[in-house]
Amino acid sequence: MTDPAARAAPVAPADAAAPAGPALRADPLGHVDPVASTTPAASAAPDTDPAEFAIRTTGLTKRFGRSTVVDGIDLAVPRGSVFGFLGPNGSGKTTTIRMLLGLASASSGEVRVLGHEMPSNLARVLPAVGALIEGPGFYPFLSGRANLHRLDSADGFASASTRKARVERALDRVGLSSAAGKKVRAYSLGMKQRLGIANALLTPRELIVLDEPTNGLDPQGTREVRTLIRSLAAEGTTVFVSSHLLSEIEQMCSHVAVMRAGRLVAQGALDDLRGAGRTHLRLTVATPDAPTAAATLSRLGVRQAPAPAPAPAPATFEASHPADRTTTDPGIHPAPDPAESTPLEGELPETVPAEAVVAALVADGVRVRGFAVERASLEDLFVELTGEGFDVVQ
Amino acid sequence: MNRTWHRWIPAVAVPAVVVAVAVTGGVAATASADLPEKTPQEVLALVGSSEVEAFSGTLEQSSDLGLPDVSALSSGSGASDDSGAAVSSALELATGSHTARIYVDGPERLRVQVLDTLAERDAVRNGDDLWLYDSDEQSAVHATLPSHDGGATPEGSFPGADGTVPTPDELASRFLDSVDPSTDVSLGSEQTVAGRDAYSLVLTPRTDDTLVGSVTIAVDAETGMPLEVQVFARGASSAAFEVGFTDLSLDTPSADLFDFTPPAGTEVTEKELDAPGHDGTGTDDDASDAAGHQDREPTVTGEGWSSIVETALGGDLTEITSNPLFSQLATPVEGGSVLQTALVSVLLTDDGRLLAGAVPAELLQQAAAAE
Amino acid sequence: MSSDTTAPVRPRRALGWGFFLSELSVLFRRRRTWAMLLALAAVPVLIAVAIRLTDDGNGGGGGPAFLDRITQNGLFVGVTALVVAIPLFLPLTVGVVAGDSIAGEAGTGTLRYLLVSPVGRIRLLVVKFAAAAVFCLAATLTVSIAGILIGLALFPVGPVALVSGDTVSVGESLLRSLLIALYITLGLLGLSAIGLFISTLTDAPVGAMAATVVVSIVAQVVGQLSQLEWLHPWLFTYHWLDFADLLRQPIEWSSFGANAVLQLAYVAVFGALAYGRFATKDILS
Repeated sequence: MTDPAARAAPVAPADAAAPAGPALRADPLGHVDPVASTTPAASAAPDTDPAEFAIRTTGLTKRFGRSTVVDGIDLAVPRGSVFGFLGPNGSGKTTTIRMLLGLASASSGEVRVLGHEMPSNLARVLPAVGALIEGPGFYPFLSGRANLHRLDSADGFASASTRKARVERALDRVGLSSAAGKKVRAYSLGMKQRLGIANALLTPRELIVLDEPTNGLDPQGTREVRTLIRSLAAEGTTVFVSSHLLSEIEQMCSHVAVMRAGRLVAQGALDDLRGAGRTHLRLTVATPDAPTAAATLSRLGVRQAPAPAPAPAPATFEASHPADRTTTDPGIHPAPDPAESTPLEGELPETVPAEAVVAALVADGVRVRGFAVERASLEDLFVELTGEGFDVVQ
Repeated sequence: MNRTWHRWIPAVAVPAVVVAVAVTGGVAATASADLPEKTPQEVLALVGSSEVEAFSGTLEQSSDLGLPDVSALSSGSGASDDSGAAVSSALELATGSHTARIYVDGPERLRVQVLDTLAERDAVRNGDDLWLYDSDEQSAVHATLPSHDGGATPEGSFPGADGTVPTPDELASRFLDSVDPSTDVSLGSEQTVAGRDAYSLVLTPRTDDTLVGSVTIAVDAETGMPLEVQVFARGASSAAFEVGFTDLSLDTPSADLFDFTPPAGTEVTEKELDAPGHDGTGTDDDASDAAGHQDREPTVTGEGWSSIVETALGGDLTEITSNPLFSQLATPVEGGSVLQTALVSVLLTDDGRLLAGAVPAELLQQAAAAE
Repeated sequence: MSSDTTAPVRPRRALGWGFFLSELSVLFRRRRTWAMLLALAAVPVLIAVAIRLTDDGNGGGGGPAFLDRITQNGLFVGVTALVVAIPLFLPLTVGVVAGDSIAGEAGTGTLRYLLVSPVGRIRLLVVKFAAAAVFCLAATLTVSIAGILIGLALFPVGPVALVSGDTVSVGESLLRSLLIALYITLGLLGLSAIGLFISTLTDAPVGAMAATVVVSIVAQVVGQLSQLEWLHPWLFTYHWLDFADLLRQPIEWSSFGANAVLQLAYVAVFGALAYGRFATKDILS
């Protein structure tokens, strides 16, 4: 969160169609979307001022034959944000990106990029958009430099007289200057990836779309890409990064949207999601006196998750929203075998200090064998939202 | 996809336009002209008064005969020809259509080029010099006409002697020469041939003893020059044989065209021309494999459309009959073999006589038996 | 609140010469392109060498008339080689280039980058077709020039006899050789358009190349079947061998015109089909 612009960006609504108020939406799978925004005004924003969003989609859907690959998603990428587009492989991220860039036509729904209706304004919009789509694609028999010259000349709006300078600057920016004369055939995957990013940076862009930009990069390269994205964002460029790796998104994004099986299951400012996580601490108690402990925790306002193995239900995440806990129904699940030390899990309200919990448990005669307080991580959120998380959705 | 269907419009419209242009373009080429009324006799007179001295043009000739025999047809109207050459050129004509270019500058300067795929046959007359050139064979025949220029070499007959593509002019004069009481002459609808308005003379034989249904001659309204000749078989709606200009210019062709020198490496045969009836028969190289007995005069029996020409070939007939092409085309009949085409029948008798005419084969057999 | 005038204010799109030149440089920087041109150049060389070695002073005999002429005049090697190359070698190489045009970009993954550059789909099709046309010219000129050069080296050279029997100077014969190359290039444009269309149908360049070559072979086979004679004037191969009309005296231009009309019709029809397909295609490569 180094970018002031990103911080200043309005909070994104998850869905313009959602009712105002607590911006929560139950999806058909029974999950509840975590939506950082709770301001009703934000829901209406995209309709009143589309230009404020670098990318805005409404009910974007893509069907191939009978299978629906992208199912009515409403993306809202604020200008100036570093937007993480998160989802397991096969969740429809790349197809969405292809529709954003006019490579594929939408079966239904609308796309606006940089404030313009999309398939019809490709020639106006695309010069201001740099993209790396599903890995680099280059002519293996040309050098890296020649490849960039080729792609730059394809842009009918780019001036030919400054082409050489542009190409050299882009190469320099991704650290490929020394290898630019080599044939791409001889490049490693990481070098090709850098070249692909260089292509996205050829001209000054308002929006840069990077699909899995760190694929094939070594840790050093990954760090460089991250730095690069931050510096782009610092220049005011909107960066739309897709990834199946949460850690990646977490480290550089101001906003995030999560895809699962063609649907958008969560969207919002990362700060809000993280902030929500920060107010709720995950509490784990290991004790043979589970029923007693559960009662004590319940009295303290700790909402408990089913133990010992929490189902991939939204319970944990749901609990991170105090606003939603008007009708608290602490589900207390005592361990079946009191002789064993059973872990109990729950959410610790910010208002209750951890030591007070321990004191209360001990006072109630609970044999506390283990006690831990952890912050809920985005990882949990991600795994939660995307089901098992990393399965390829068929 | 529902919003992009209109991008397929050109893919549907362009082929439709192309087909439409191709179809209507063909119709436009035969659009009728608006010419002053004339009687058939006036048109005949127009042809007779034609004085086109110099022109150049492209001729298309096509036949739908199976085995056409134009020389035999012209023999029927009284001209003598070399039957051996006729057979060979007739077989060649059977291969469908030909294109030729013709350049004429007065009666003594003429060039006909038969355009073959990757090859060409030329016939050039420049004054007394005659050249026949075949690029495929890389051979040429040179002859010098007797200075008095025997009357048997009208300018039109020379290309005919080459046996490949007769001109409409030549063919029309043969047909018009035979206009007599046996022929009904009428006018058909006006035509456009080679971009020129033309009257259409229709010659219909009055006799039933011929295979010819009618002959249509397109006559240039301006000059009286025959532009197209179509021969229809009895009862047929499309021409069995037709030759006509697709392109015609009345400008005098460049003189260079008549100044022919065979290229280096060409095999040149010098030909003596002494018998007036046998000029321009330089193609007997081609004909030698058929039968080269050109010294027998053919006899003509009957008259008008149903005349029959008869030649005694003599010699060894197996040379002809053993040809696989012959057995493929000819049907054995009593007393010989018949080659039947839409316009012409040819009978080769077992005793070595060749009878031909634009008549049904039975009449040939009767004629052969009558000897 | 910013207005929606945030659209990039940039110069108008260039006409595409830069991209066309880039396309040519990509085409001619490929080793494959040079291999094909070399193979084409080998056709006249092989013919000339074979005839030189077997020449018994009798012109070989029995072969096509053009083969006989070579021994007399080396300038005929180019024309003879074109006759030999037209049915298979030229369509083969043109099929490779035209079939590869879109499908090849899809195969290397560059198509999506070109399109988001943005190159514009129509512009890409036009440039691809133009590049294929340039290759057609390069291919025919390669055969022709290689033929003339090897002819100069192995055989006597002098004034050239045309099929009409007239003889023209060496200079004019070279001019006519150039005309023939243009004629054959024109004749290959229809096939290029077909290849371009096929190329938009698939992401597999090899399939598109093979299909294009097969189309040209089928067209020639159909052109040989007398049962389908009504179809012949509609085949894009119909005028391929009529280039001999340029070796007549005077030049017969009608086949040049007929060839041009036929090829333009093919370009229009298959160009429209290629546009319909490509403009509506989802680029998923």
